[in-house]
Order: sequence, then structure tokens, then C-alpha cells
Amino acid sequence: MHKLLIGLMVSASLFSTQSVAFDFGKALEDAAKQKIEEVKSGSGAANTEQAKTPAETEATKSATESGATVVPDEKAFNWKNPSTAEEIALGREITGSILGAAPLVKDDKLQQYVNKVGRWVASQSERADLPWKFGVIESSDLNAFAAPGGYVLITKGLYQQLNNEAQLAGILGHEIAHIVQKHQLKVLQKQQLVNIGAGLITDKLSKGNKLAQKAIGSGAEISARSLDKEAEYEADRMGVVLAVRAGYDAFGLPEVLQEIGQTNKTDNSVALLFKTHPHPDERLTKLGDSAGNKLDNLKAGKTLENRFYKLTK
Amino acid sequence: MKIDLHKKNYLKALLLISLASPALGLCGEVGTALKADTLRLTPFADAKTVGSLNKNDAVDILAKKGAWLQVKTKKSTGWVRLLSVKRGGVSSSNQVKGLADVASGRAGTGKVVSTTGIRGLSAEELKTAQFNETEMKKLESYTLTPKDGQKFATAGGLTTTPLAYFKGAQ
Ligand SMILES: [Zn+2]
Repeated sequence: MHKLLIGLMVSASLFSTQSVAFDFGKALEDAAKQKIEEVKSGSGAANTEQAKTPAETEATKSATESGATVVPDEKAFNWKNPSTAEEIALGREITGSILGAAPLVKDDKLQQYVNKVGRWVASQSERADLPWKFGVIESSDLNAFAAPGGYVLITKGLYQQLNNEAQLAGILGHEIAHIVQKHQLKVLQKQQLVNIGAGLITDKLSKGNKLAQKAIGSGAEISARSLDKEAEYEADRMGVVLAVRAGYDAFGLPEVLQEIGQTNKTDNSVALLFKTHPHPDERLTKLGDSAGNKLDNLKAGKTLENRFYKLTK
Repeated sequence: MKIDLHKKNYLKALLLISLASPALGLCGEVGTALKADTLRLTPFADAKTVGSLNKNDAVDILAKKGAWLQVKTKKSTGWVRLLSVKRGGVSSSNQVKGLADVASGRAGTGKVVSTTGIRGLSAEELKTAQFNETEMKKLESYTLTPKDGQKFATAGGLTTTPLAYFKGAQ
């Protein structure tokens, strides 16, 4: 579904007017809606994954062949196949912008604690070698953010809803999964290849120190955008597994979803979260469907409420 | 010897209580079935069926044990997978918060945002946000090594459990 969406975004933008003001986000949204309707009504391709791959490849190819292809250059950001260093540079740009909107909570002990939990959970992933960084930011919203290369932020509002370490591990696990699966990175990559192909940016613009800024506008904008739902469900499934691997109770993340699910939909504190993620009820249902009996016979994980760092309100 | 035996029984009793007790704030709350599911006599997938849940059925949550919740419906009482039930009434969405929340003073958390001094984080704010180098440096200063993480895990008695990722449901 994820691949599919991006394929659609690429083709949709290439075949429409090449105006500089073209709204990629809107195109993505529209394409997604259309596709969801197709799938629902059963009129979509039988094997969407396979059906889309050639189209996607085609679009990417024409994007890179249409004249503005990045000439091999040491300074150019390799959008087709970014190195880990490039990925981290991009994530730093995005995270630094979020921090510009909401600074870190001034509490060293809190930040250190969250880094310990996060570092341990991330060590259970396939990208344990990234320089993982975790932070709690000054915001009463209920939300958390991941950026490429190992950056994870959680709002103070969400942190205050937590009761134990297993719940924190579950939330961080969801964000770690986004980074492990390069969900945001893939969206940015495709968008950049289209932009270069459509002549919206030139190779010169995509070079140099300001590479990430030039490429993504205000870095934090990507964090206000939704990934496709399947990426979110995948991050939930992986987040639960990462927490279990780390020795925690499996139901930390579901418990937090239960809690958030009770927040009124019209409440401002969940406006962005509910805009970028499926509703917690849907996420719990999907998680239950995919978990089946796989969480039934686990050895009892820990919740560690006693050492959970409590934040006074 | 006698004392030891007593101790043992006491521990056993304690264990039983902790296995099926309000480890979650869930117990004593109302819940709603997220989907149709089977109610079982004991918290095991192969336990005898004692009833069923339809989507949106209201339940009372009695106890939690591992992956299972003991719930009471109008017709029967039994165990159902925790992930099949959400907290709260069907369309309550916060109008009815659980007793546990009221008791713990957590009722209403995250509901009031208009209070002075509380700041949200909107999509608009993110779009116009400027990079903050000082805060970034601070964030980077907290970076830990895998070894630090391991030490922290050991201190908490956390041991790794192998578990493969599972696939999305069809
Ligand atoms: Zn997410």
C-alpha cells in the first residue's frame, strides 16, 4: 500500500500541470483516497504491489532522464540511494525544526531516562547501530515524532499520560519502527526525484550544505503530513514486538492507544495526531487482527512502574 | 518449616492475585467490543466457549491476565483478547471516563487546552518552524551508547525475548 501510494504520487504529479506551485501533498491525498475507494470496491488491481512496481519504476526513470538528473558530484545529496550519513543529516534538519517550534523540556533527568529506555528498545531493532536520540518536547499535545537517522521526540502531554516504562517503550517502539522502515525517508526521496525530474529544483539547488533545507522546505513540514495507514499499522506491530524483545510487557503501546482513544476527537491536543494517524480504535483493531495468538504465550514482560520517571504536571 | 510453608502459600496467593488483578487501570471500567469475538471460560485460546461478543457490545471489565481481559456482558462472563476491547462506551469518546481515572485524578487529562501557559503543536507551527541549533546540540548531548542501554536494562531486570515481527492481517 505504501509503495503503491508513492507510485501514484509520482505518476500523478508527472502527468499533471508542471506548475511550481503544484501541491504534492494534496496529490498524494487525492490519489490515496481514490485508491482506497478502488480497493474497497474491489476494482483495484488484484495484486496492487506487483501491479504498481513497473509504473513506479517507469516514473522514477523518466524523472531522472528528463534533463535535470543529478550529475555525479561528491556534494550532491544522493536521493536515489542516500547514505546513512545523509539520512542522519536529513533527520537532523527535520528534528531541529521541530525543536524550533517546541524546545526540549528543561529536565536533564527526564531526557536521560527517555534516552535509556529508547536506546535499549532501539538496540532490539535491525538498525541498532544508528546514533539514536530521544527527547521530550514542551507541548501539551499528545504526539510523538520520528525523523530519518534515529531521531525520536515525544511531547510532554503524551508523556504525562503514561504510567509505566513499558508504555513508554511501546510508544518509542512505534517511532523507532518508522525509522527502521525508513517510512518518512521514502516519502521524501520520491518527492525529490519527482521535483528534480519536473525541473522544480535543479541539481544545483539540491547540492551543498543547505541540502536538506532546500530539499524539504521547512524541515518539520514532513512531520505534519500523514504516511499511509499501512505504514502506521506496521509501526504499531513492530513497536509491540520491539518492546517485547526488550523484555517489556507487550501491552504498553495498546494501553496508551486505549487511553488516547478516549480523548474527544475535537480536542485540540489530538488534532495533529488524529490528522496524521488512523484513530486509536482502528489501530487497536488492526493490531489485534494481526497479532492473533502470537502474544498469548509470551513470558511475562516487565512494566517497571516503580522506576518510571514521573513528571509533575 | 511451618513458617516456610506459610510463606510459600502466602507467595502463591500473592502471585495469583497479581496475575489477575487491576495491573491496568482498566478493571472496574466499562469497555466496548472493537469487533466480534469469542468469550472463553479461561484466558486461553483453546478454552471452552462461553459466549460471544458483537462489535460495539458494552462490557464491564473485571480482570486482566496477560493478553486477556475478563469481561461481563448482559448475557455472560468470560475471557476475551485484550486487543478486541476498547475502553469507554461506544460513542462516549471521553464523555464517560472510567472510575479508575476519576479515582487517580487522571480524569480530564488532555482535555483542556485553552488554559493559559499550555501550548499545542499544530501543523501550521511545524510548517513555519525554524531550525534551532542550541536545542539540537542539547538533544545530541543526551545520546547514549548501546552499552549504556544494556546497563540500564540489566539494572531493571529486563532480559531480551526473541519474537519475530508479525505480518499485517489480510
Ligand atoms: Zn506513526
